[in-house]
Amino acid sequence: MTKITIRCNTVLKGIAEGEALVTRQPICLYDSLDPKSGLIINKRHELHGENVAGKVLVFPYGIGSSSSSATILEASRCRKAPKAIINLKTEPIIAAGSILSEKLYGKIIPIVDKPETNPIEVIKKGNLVKVDANAGLIEVIKTEKNSAKS
Amino acid sequence: MILTKKEEAMLKGEYGEGPEIAMSVLTKLGDVYGADRMIDVENVHIDGSAYGWINDAGLDLVERFCRSGMTFEVPTTLNPASIDFDQWNELRIDSSVAEKQFRLATAFKKMGAIPTWTCAPYQYGANLKYGQNVAWGESNAVAFANTVIGARTEKLGDLADVCAATVGKYPKFGLYRDENRQGQILFELDDLDFRTFTSTDYGILGFFIGTIAGNRVPVVTGVPKNATLDQLKSYCTAAAIGGAVSLSHICGVTPEAQDITDACAGVNPEEKISVGIGELDDTRDKLNILQGGRAEVVCLGCPHCSVEELASVAQSIKCRKLQKGVRLFVFTSRMAKALAREMGVIGAIEAGGGKVIADTCWNFIPMEDSVLMTDSVKMAWTSSQKFSKIILDSMEKCVEVAVGAKS
Repeated sequence: MTKITIRCNTVLKGIAEGEALVTRQPICLYDSLDPKSGLIINKRHELHGENVAGKVLVFPYGIGSSSSSATILEASRCRKAPKAIINLKTEPIIAAGSILSEKLYGKIIPIVDKPETNPIEVIKKGNLVKVDANAGLIEVIKTEKNSAKS
Repeated sequence: MILTKKEEAMLKGEYGEGPEIAMSVLTKLGDVYGADRMIDVENVHIDGSAYGWINDAGLDLVERFCRSGMTFEVPTTLNPASIDFDQWNELRIDSSVAEKQFRLATAFKKMGAIPTWTCAPYQYGANLKYGQNVAWGESNAVAFANTVIGARTEKLGDLADVCAATVGKYPKFGLYRDENRQGQILFELDDLDFRTFTSTDYGILGFFIGTIAGNRVPVVTGVPKNATLDQLKSYCTAAAIGGAVSLSHICGVTPEAQDITDACAGVNPEEKISVGIGELDDTRDKLNILQGGRAEVVCLGCPHCSVEELASVAQSIKCRKLQKGVRLFVFTSRMAKALAREMGVIGAIEAGGGKVIADTCWNFIPMEDSVLMTDSVKMAWTSSQKFSKIILDSMEKCVEVAVGAKS
């Protein structure tokens, strides 16, 4: 078991831990995520078929539709939202979704961005990841088992 | 952020529950993105106008705002709804969805919204001018407002737009600030023959630029000054969907960017890309899925058709009828539809067997067809969960296929 720590910028505070789901491809959550199930339904996206519910979602940045904020809010209402979000650069639409989730449903989805090393290179699918947005830290816990999955 | 006394009081709940929610969401967003203060916006375009986009969570919030007695502080237009208000029943929209959309419409209108129900509000319903601060949602509309009009807006997320409309304010960050409007990556167009460029070609160009620019501000040279608003609409829409491009500096077209020096504020762009016919052909191939199937449904009007585009559709039909097994859907706003009806254009499309749908988006229309043909890059790119084959071509080619000419 190895542990890697990455410093990053706090977008929205909170602490959460979960299994990582990682993509190199920017994503439009509105046309990719079904908020009622947590499934990625966009066939054009490499995460197609994966479920974001309860995961630490790692993606470079959000693109496309303005509706992604409402998609995150509805996913929170349906308890299918990711536990935390790690970006290279967080788009305001994504931040708005998380702010609304906390304000209206008390559901905190911590977000961090601008990490000192590229988390997309370091974090593999299935790694256990702790996001401490209060301290601006990402902790990646790799076990042989979950490293092998990637 | 430094807030005015009134903003501070709203945040503390002295104006009631609704303003407290709105101000709290907006100040938090402002804090995250380093805004020093709120700006007064002159109008708002709400993207989160369809029940299908904002779901029960969004409906709850809008009704909560309405119940608390809030109204929109500035002129506020609406993006499409989940239904065509006049013909939702014959389009086989679920009646529970229609019922929730009617509730949403009631609340929005009670708050004072201008019921435009269109994703191209810059063509009908919204008034924009160069240099003004507005707060818009809908990625294509945001890109058009910044790029073609030179108004200033961030791309607002759904429900953040509703918050902005209720207080007439938005935190000053991103594209409201000069330094963030500076061009970063230069695209030089080589050997492209714009005389033969269709709106769809402009879309393919926009999509290519969007995918390369990502979240940077592109500068584009070589686009003719006489590109039509409909062609620029197609460009902006595709750039916003290919990347996160909410502003392109199209030299000679974008008001604040007459040349590269203007666009980049005198600084050299960090990267230069040449775009030729090869890049566009590759992009076209990426947008088509399994090209070659026979179109079962032809969809036009993403974003909503203008009157001019509706007239071109009617003209291309040339009094012919749809061939068997093909349906033609044309999406537009109720304003354009009313004008086009008076011109005989709607009658001509309907006589050919086409259906003209207003107020809504193709997203919400039940379609069991498996092969789509469209002239819209945005629809071709974002409808893959609905169709197994997608063919992208110009409006004229789409109509030719619909009325039975060989594709």
